[in-house]
Amino acid sequence: MSRIWTLARKDLLETRRDPLSALFIVVMPIVFTAFLGLMFGSGTDRLSVVVHDADRGEQSQRLVAALEGSAAVRVVPKSAAGLESWVADGRAAAGLLIPQGFSASVKDGRRAGLVVVSDQTSSGAQAIIAEIRAVAGGLVAADRAARVGVATAAKLKGEGDGKLDSEARQTEITATAQRLATQAMAQPAVTLRTVRAGAAAGQVPTGFTLSSPGMIVNFIMFSLMTAGMGVIMERRNGTLRRLMTTRMRRDELIAGKMAGMFVLTFFQQALLIGAGQFLFGVDYLNDPVALVLMMIALSLVASSLGLLLAALLSSEQALVAAVVIVSMSVSALSGAWFPLEIAGEGFRAVGHVLPTAWILDALRDIVTRGAGVGDVLSAFAVALAWATGLFGVAVARFRLA
Amino acid sequence: MSIVEVRGLSKRYDPPKGVLAVDDASFSIERGEIFSLLGPNGAGKSTTIAMLSCLLRPSHGDALVDSHSIIDDPQAVKSVIGVVPQEIAVYPDMTARENLVFWGRMYGLSGAELQTRVGEVLELVSLADRQKDRVDKFSGGMKRRLNVGVALLHRPSILYLDEPTVGIDPQSRRSILDGILALRDQGMTVLYTTHYMAEAQELSDRIGIIDHGRMIALGTHAELVRIVGQEARVDLTVDHMLEGMVERWKELPGVSSASVEDEHAELLVDDANAVLPRLFEEAAEGGSRITSVNVSEPNLELVFLHLTGRALRE
Repeated sequence: MSRIWTLARKDLLETRRDPLSALFIVVMPIVFTAFLGLMFGSGTDRLSVVVHDADRGEQSQRLVAALEGSAAVRVVPKSAAGLESWVADGRAAAGLLIPQGFSASVKDGRRAGLVVVSDQTSSGAQAIIAEIRAVAGGLVAADRAARVGVATAAKLKGEGDGKLDSEARQTEITATAQRLATQAMAQPAVTLRTVRAGAAAGQVPTGFTLSSPGMIVNFIMFSLMTAGMGVIMERRNGTLRRLMTTRMRRDELIAGKMAGMFVLTFFQQALLIGAGQFLFGVDYLNDPVALVLMMIALSLVASSLGLLLAALLSSEQALVAAVVIVSMSVSALSGAWFPLEIAGEGFRAVGHVLPTAWILDALRDIVTRGAGVGDVLSAFAVALAWATGLFGVAVARFRLA
Repeated sequence: MSIVEVRGLSKRYDPPKGVLAVDDASFSIERGEIFSLLGPNGAGKSTTIAMLSCLLRPSHGDALVDSHSIIDDPQAVKSVIGVVPQEIAVYPDMTARENLVFWGRMYGLSGAELQTRVGEVLELVSLADRQKDRVDKFSGGMKRRLNVGVALLHRPSILYLDEPTVGIDPQSRRSILDGILALRDQGMTVLYTTHYMAEAQELSDRIGIIDHGRMIALGTHAELVRIVGQEARVDLTVDHMLEGMVERWKELPGVSSASVEDEHAELLVDDANAVLPRLFEEAAEGGSRITSVNVSEPNLELVFLHLTGRALRE
């Protein structure tokens, strides 16, 4: 066991001393994560809605404030002209125009109109419209409930001591009732927990949520080059054969090489997940145990694949070509560059032959909807089966010279 | 007392029709001696070493190394051998000390014993003052010394050196040869392979000449030279080689063998002074002219030529 670990540590030391390693293992993945994340979206889950408040009344300001507190939309205040251009340019999925007289209409109990400017084909616009309808409807409903309550009380009291006859008094009480109604409606009797279904239900992840797990898988595959190159170099300079003249056994040698690759890819994942969590705001820590399980799965697949490539190939040139082909194909088919949900059904099916597609799905489920251990077990099983098969072939084909 | 006993060792790659690299080799190595396997490239020297190092499983036969069978107890064999491969099999981006510590652990050393032994070996190979330098900054000779040092870490009973001087400068070669002689003086047994006759002649207590996988002669230098008797080797060059000239030379009295390559010929003769005029005459009669002549007294090269009909360097 100590010889296995000594060999693995030696491999890691050599990797650390290779100036190019840091570039490929850390720098490039982070740069690509940032680049693709920005390309795919802002990285926030909230949809931008441009708002122009032409009314500037009490009710319109309450509506804007309520939208600003929404978890679904992000309010961008603009002029009327700015509103149209933002929607036309696609910078916002929809715009809300609050016309003059909105507050008066609400106060008088008349129908209050709002104008939404949107691209009708955009699913984001539909979500914004639904959110505006819910927020505005809630505010108006609270207002009306308060007014009805006060009017009823006034009518009842009017038949008694007449203390509510004064208009000023009624206005004061109405305001209090509105506040109380709004508070009451903020604590609905029925709680509806919204769970984001993630990729599995057809929702396409955007921004860093998409790019960070994708680039982790992509660059872990790319790290096969570093790991496999070590074996090929050792075969060429004779150290593999020399190791076998010491007390090290063949199974220990292979285990040591595998352990070195596993630790390298696991450490790389930890770095990239840390960058995703703290630089890009991707919530990897929803379920740490599930996350670690997927990290183990990915490292097992990557290290056994690296061992296999090193076992089959003799030269550095052949390894570089193979790693480029394998890492790019696997990454593309697994959905590391673009979500498989936007691909055809056949492409998705082919992609899910690969363990990396399962791992990517699981990682995205963890970050988008807080998937737990139970949710990622099937991905772990697929990865384990692949890793076992790859490792078996690698051991059978492993050559010292 | 023998430390290595090789009995009927054979290795055929890709049986049944593959190359027979070693064919029924049998020899022994005495404790404390330098035993050289001398032969041209591809003769089977490295395959023999690989089998004795337990890197290759023999097709037939067995060998005992310090009483351990290479087939039945390879782990025990590995614990008593130190192998210096032909390549510089150390890690260039690690320091000399890091390399020795790593290899020491691979040989099963640890703790204070490992540190002590690393220090001793650094002194032995004269790298103590460069122990913290990375190996890729070393000269070729320093790398070669470290390559030897690695094999000495665990105090092996026998050291295998597989053509350790290939491709290095004369100064480094001299340093390695002196180091091997010094190790022998300290009681180390050495199995040395080479295709350089001079190295085998200088270093060895006994020499096994190997060709096409077969051990064709074995003995001390003096014993081997006696195989060719008192014959001398004549190397000569002609301005153009006539057809049938070598055959006519072979028929001359006192010429036991002759071989030719382009305009160059090698002959084994019992009396060079007597034969040389006849060689000139034969050449002149055919219209050719001998442009250079060199006469060598009997040596291992001649032994090889005598036994195989080919020069060792071919």
